[in-house]
Order: sequence, then structure tokens, then C-alpha cells
Amino acid sequence: MRWDWHDRLHLLGLVVVVAAMAWLLLAGAPGDSGARQASGIERAMERELAYQARAAFLQQIYGPVEELRRQGQAQQALLMLEQLNRNYAGEAHGYILKGLILHEQGVLEEAVASFVQGLRLNGDYVDQRSPLSERARIQNAVDEGLTTLGARARANPDNLSVAAALRNVYYLQSRLAGGCE
Amino acid sequence: MLMQREFWMIMAAGLSLGLLGVLLAVWGNPENSGICVSCFLENSAGALGLHANERMQYLRPELIGFVLGAMGSALVFREFRSRGGNAPLGRFGAGFFLIVGCAIFIGCPIKLFLRLTAGDLTALVALGGLVAGVWLGLRSLAAGVHFGMSSPQRGGAGFLVPALFVLMLVFALAQPGFILASTRGSAAQHAPLLLSLGAGVLLGVLAQRSRFCITGGVRDALVLGRRAPLLWGLLAFTAAAILANLLIGRFEVGFYGQPGAHLEHFWSVLGMALVGWISVLIGGCPFRQLIKAGEGDTDAGMAVLGMLIGAAVVQGWGLAGTAAGVPFYGKVAVLVGLALVLLTGLLLRERTA
Amino acid sequence: MNEILPVRRGAWLRFLFPMMTLVLAVVLGGCEKAPSGPVYRIGYMNCNSEAETMHRFLPLTRYLEKELGVRFEAIPVDTQDFVERYEQGEFDFTHTNAILYVILKEEQNLELLATEKRGQYGSRTAGALVVRRDSDIQTLEDVRGKRLIFGPQLALQGYAAQYDLLLKAGIDPELDLAYYAIPHGSFKHEKVIYGAWFGAYDVAAAPVLDLEVMIAEGKIEADDFRVLAQSEVMPYCTFGAAPRVDPKLVDRFRQALLKLKPEDTVEMDGERIKVLNAALIDGFEQLLDSDYDINRDLLRRVNMPPYQEF
Repeated sequence: MRWDWHDRLHLLGLVVVVAAMAWLLLAGAPGDSGARQASGIERAMERELAYQARAAFLQQIYGPVEELRRQGQAQQALLMLEQLNRNYAGEAHGYILKGLILHEQGVLEEAVASFVQGLRLNGDYVDQRSPLSERARIQNAVDEGLTTLGARARANPDNLSVAAALRNVYYLQSRLAGGCE
Repeated sequence: MLMQREFWMIMAAGLSLGLLGVLLAVWGNPENSGICVSCFLENSAGALGLHANERMQYLRPELIGFVLGAMGSALVFREFRSRGGNAPLGRFGAGFFLIVGCAIFIGCPIKLFLRLTAGDLTALVALGGLVAGVWLGLRSLAAGVHFGMSSPQRGGAGFLVPALFVLMLVFALAQPGFILASTRGSAAQHAPLLLSLGAGVLLGVLAQRSRFCITGGVRDALVLGRRAPLLWGLLAFTAAAILANLLIGRFEVGFYGQPGAHLEHFWSVLGMALVGWISVLIGGCPFRQLIKAGEGDTDAGMAVLGMLIGAAVVQGWGLAGTAAGVPFYGKVAVLVGLALVLLTGLLLRERTA
Repeated sequence: MNEILPVRRGAWLRFLFPMMTLVLAVVLGGCEKAPSGPVYRIGYMNCNSEAETMHRFLPLTRYLEKELGVRFEAIPVDTQDFVERYEQGEFDFTHTNAILYVILKEEQNLELLATEKRGQYGSRTAGALVVRRDSDIQTLEDVRGKRLIFGPQLALQGYAAQYDLLLKAGIDPELDLAYYAIPHGSFKHEKVIYGAWFGAYDVAAAPVLDLEVMIAEGKIEADDFRVLAQSEVMPYCTFGAAPRVDPKLVDRFRQALLKLKPEDTVEMDGERIKVLNAALIDGFEQLLDSDYDINRDLLRRVNMPPYQEF
């Protein structure tokens, strides 16, 4: 194969461009804070900050409910949740808290339904590593649900509502088991 | 058959896939999801910033390993050929809807078997859909439906998709800031990088040498019966995965409460039927498309790009199935996919006088 | 290379005709037909007022007509008159509170259809004794000698449950209170809560559901009141069917209620109305009659119908 002026020019250009790129990557990028920001290097940290801020915000907003719950005033806590719902309707944290309180009150079916609503909005509550995790308590509800609702479903195979409640338990069980989302 | 080197290569690929599919979940990948091409593509698309689901972003090294392992093997054994050039957009669309079908079921055909071998009976129902889809694909092929024959490509076109995965390898190793990584959710669950990469490369090499393919195994079983080596490879994969799951105590038989599974069986069947049908028409399951792309097949490369965009869209638009079931627009997407496959059967049919 | 066959035009026409017929059949089949045949009467117990009852339940009645293809008449009924009018055969279906359901089940073999879901406890709610936040009443024992306002006497979670709470605490409402009262007229539960809020009474016997609703509507705040005591949660408002009604219709009625979703609508007076939203209900649940045993035990403890002994 003969190399004419066209080939030689392209080869030279290729060598120059590759060399420039290598220089840019090795020397330019790490020290250039502007380029770093532009290429989104700090995005991960920003995301973590936003997440931590969200967790802190939720804990602040729902703090009074948690406090009432700790004091054993379950009904008062539920009513406070209802009030917060006026401003933060559809927030997963509210559903999870409601599920926890209802479960403590022994209202299993509604507790499970509330956990389902919360988890469908935000799966963090069954993550081991999340500061919001309520995995152990949700697992307790599932264990209880499989026993009591399972028995109720077997005794009433035609009852659609019991079947729906059991499906909710299975959903939670599946989320707790992990796997892809 | 037992005397053929090819047969034992397929058996090795099947056994390795079964074993590593289970072990990768033990080493950190999500439960029953040690290997899942569609889930991993969804994770990788998220890591590249193609969708915003913060729980599904991680550049999965296994995928990189599959492609680069296949490329290395093809180069060493002088099987790397730049080829393709037929119906590129059709193949792109096929790749896109392969992932739609997988996302509805929550997993590719490999994961279907991994779920099944861990006792997830919902996968058994979906297997019916996959087999039906493969059968429909065979009927389509027999009726003259095809995307056309590939031809040699000039200018090293076959290196483009492997080059994309080399770039991803650089990203996975260097971890630049614009590559996103979930800190929670299933994408935050992963095996150590080098272990994942090593497993991917090994499987890529074995799959390139053996032509191992899940839907190919089903297809050959339907055509050749017990004489099909790929069927035995599939059985080896299944047996290895069952044994591994039993030994490590991850075998839980049941329909309910299975990890990453839902109970909308009808849609699982349709999703997997779509996957089976498309896979036969384009010559392989999602895993096989990655391997072929690594061998320089630009047609498979187009399918891989379609799969990547499909993975971004199913997450970005919320089409993917979850433990809660299949979203409404996910159902619509599967039906659109089936409609397009049917249309393809009309438009790409070679009719004889 | 094989040649591609041209498509013949006649084939398209043969395909077009059945397709158009199919489309026409689907379009015409989708038209709503007015129900015909006998009129079934649904007695709706007035919760707050007759006007409110009709406003809530007329859309639901229209929905049932549409779903079942039979005619229904919605009849608002005063709580006190309900049993007597039912006994006279006035209603085929009933929508009542849990006490009336238990009475009608016990005395008339009413069949349980479905229980309405509303509020945080779903198909159930509890009765609570509440005081103003700044009240000096801290425990149930402090209620002795104080003024208490109950809800209507036939309200399980507005009267019976609180009566039972007091008895369990060793307080006889007939002897140990300064006095107690029951409000007149409509919206009795709200009157009870406002009665305590404005200081006319020291303690209020309120269904938890009403507290929830008033908080959600912004009428009161959660910390305006303190909950002194609360009963167990018990089934609430219930649909029932007279035993004479065709079992197939009863079953279809139940299924229609259970499948109701928040987005289901009916057209009334040229307006499209969300059925559940209008009825102030979240949905329906299929409870078992044995789930009402908790109500029955309570009614026995407080000596109320249908277990009243003199």
C-alpha cells in the first residue's frame, strides 16, 4: 500500500489529536476545578447532600408524630399525621409512620396497606443502608400477616378483600427479599 | 455428540453461567439477579445519566466483561469479522423491545432461569411465554420473515460497539464523577468490581466459543429435540444453578414473596413471548446480542444500542414491572412491541411466487 | 431470488367489511341502556342529615343501577326509624351503622354485603373520649363529676364504645358524672366535638373517624384535643341485603361495591361525578360477620339492643 499526501496528513492529524487528548486528560482535568464542576464530578456529593437533607427534613416535619408515638400516644400521633397530610399528602414517610403506628395498635391489614403505599413511593424504607430504613418492623408485619391473613384467606377462599390484603403482604415480602426493582 | 468439542464447550458455558449466576448474587449482586442482561443494562443506562431513577444506577462490569471477553476470544481465535448492514433501524427497534419485554417480566431469559432455579414459580409461567415466543419466531422464519443476510463491513465498523464498552471499562475503573452510582436500591447491591468483571470476561469467552444462547437453546430444542447441543447446555445451566442454590440455601419454592417478582402472570407471559419472538428473528437473546456485538457483528451492535436506549426508556418512563405489578404504560408498551413484531412479519416477509 | 407477490385489491375489501361490522358492533354495544324491571329500594341511614345523605349516596345508587342493570331507589332514613321501616319490608338493601347492622342481622337475618372504608382504620374505627388540650382532666378517673357529651345513642363509636370505656374504668355514666347530654338535630358528632372545644362540656365522646375528618378539613387541629381513652377498632358503616332478595343480585351488588375505584364516575344532571368521592368513602371491604362479634360483645356489655335486658 502506498501512502500519499492525504494519508500522511490524516496520520499526522491523528497523532496530534490523540497526543492532545492524552495531555488534556493527564495534565488538565484533575487540576481544573471549573472543568471538574462542568463535567459533574461533584454530582455524587450533591446527590448525597440532597438525600441527607431530605432525610433530615422528613425527621423534622414528622418529629412531633414520632415524639407522640414514643410517648405511647398512638391515636394522638395518627391525628397529627392527618394534620400533616394537609400539607404533605402522598409523602412516603407519612405512610410508613402510619403503618408503624397502626401495627403497634394491632390493626394489621391497614398497617400493611400503608407500608405498601409508602414503599411503592420510596423503596428506601426496606434498604439496609438507608437512614430511613424500617426493614425490621416491616418484616415483623409481614411475618404476622403471613400467619394471620394466610389463615383467614385459607378459611375464606372467596373473600376478595382478604385476598387483596394477603397480596399486600406478598408485595412487602417480595420487596424485603430484594432482587431487581 | 459426546465426542464433539463443541458440545463440551457448550456444557462448560452452561455450567459456568449457572454457577456464576448464583455466586454473583452471593458476592453482592441483587437476589436471584446474579446475572441479568436487561437489569444490568437498566443500571448501566442510569449510570451513564440516561435515566433519573436514583436506585438503578451502576455501570455493571459483567456487561463490559461479556462484550470484551467475546471480542478478545474472537480476535485470538481469528473469528472477529466486521459484518452486518441489514435493517439497522429494525434491529435497533428489536433491541429496544427486547428490553421492554424483559422489563415487564423483571429480567432477561438468563434471569428467568436463575429465578426458576431459586424456586420462583412465577418464572415457570413466564417460561411458557418464552417458549411460545420462540415457537412463533420459528414459524415466522419458516414463513420467510427475516431481517436479511449480513455482509462484510468495511472500515472496522465491528469495533465500534466493543469500543463503546472499552470506554465503559475506563469509566468503571476510573469512576469519573459524571458516572452515577446508586447508594441505595438494587443498583447499590453489587459484587466487587474485579470479580464481576472477571466473571463477565470468562462468560464472554465461553459464550463466544460455544455460541451459547438461552433462546437459541429453546429454539434448537423445538427443532432438533434431544439432539440439540444447546439444549444440553441449557440443562447444564439449570442443573448447576439449582445445585448452587440448594447448597447455599437460597432455594425457596413458591409463587409469593419472591425477590424481584410480581404476580401479573399474563403480562409476564406476554413480555417473555415478545422476547422469545424477537430473539429468534434477530438471532439471539439479549446475552447473545452482546456476545455477537463483541465478535464484530454490527447488526447485533445495533440491537445492543437499541437495548441500551430501551433500558433507559423503561426506567425513565416508568414502564418496567416491579413487585407491585406491571404499570399501565408498560402493558401498552408490550402490546406496541407485539404489534410491531406482527407488522414486521408482514413487511419483512419474503414471499415466493 | 424470490419475487414478492403483489397484494390483490379484492382481498382488502373482504377484510374491510367484517372489520367495519366489528367496529359498529363495539360502538353500538358501548351505548348505555336505561335499566328496566322492578325497583329495588336502598335504605340509607342518615349520618348527619337527609340532604347530606342524598348528596352522598345518589351517585352511588346511579352507579349500582348502571353496573347491575336494575332500578334502585335511594331512601334516606332516620336512624331511630330504620329498624321499624325495615321490618315493614320497605327496604331491599340497607346502608347503616354497625349497631343497626347487628340488630337487623340478629332480628331479621340481614345479609352482610360490604363495609365501607374511610379514614385511617379502613373499614373500622374507634370511639374516643377527648378533652381540650388545656383541660385539667388527665385520666379517666378525673372524669368523675364532670360534664360529658355523647354522640347519638345508636352510634357504636360515638356512644356505646365510650359508655363501655367509662364502665370499664369503674365510672357509671348514670351516677358518677355531673351530667351528660346528647345533641339534637344534624351533624351530631361535630356538635359533640365543638361542645368540648367551646367549653360547654368537659369531655366529648367522639368517633375517631370524625376527629380525623375534621382535622383533614381544617376545622380543628390535631393538638386541640387530648385523647383520654380509646376503644378497640370495630367495623363501621355497612351495606346489607334482605334475605328475600335474589342471591345472584345480592352477589352482583357486593361485587359492584368491592370493585369500585376512586376514578369511577357516573353522570348526573349533566355532570360527571366521582362516585366514591361524592359518598365520602375510600372504598369497600368484604368483612366476615364474625368480624362484628367485637361489636356484639360491646353491645352486650353496655346492655344495648339487640341484647338489651331489663
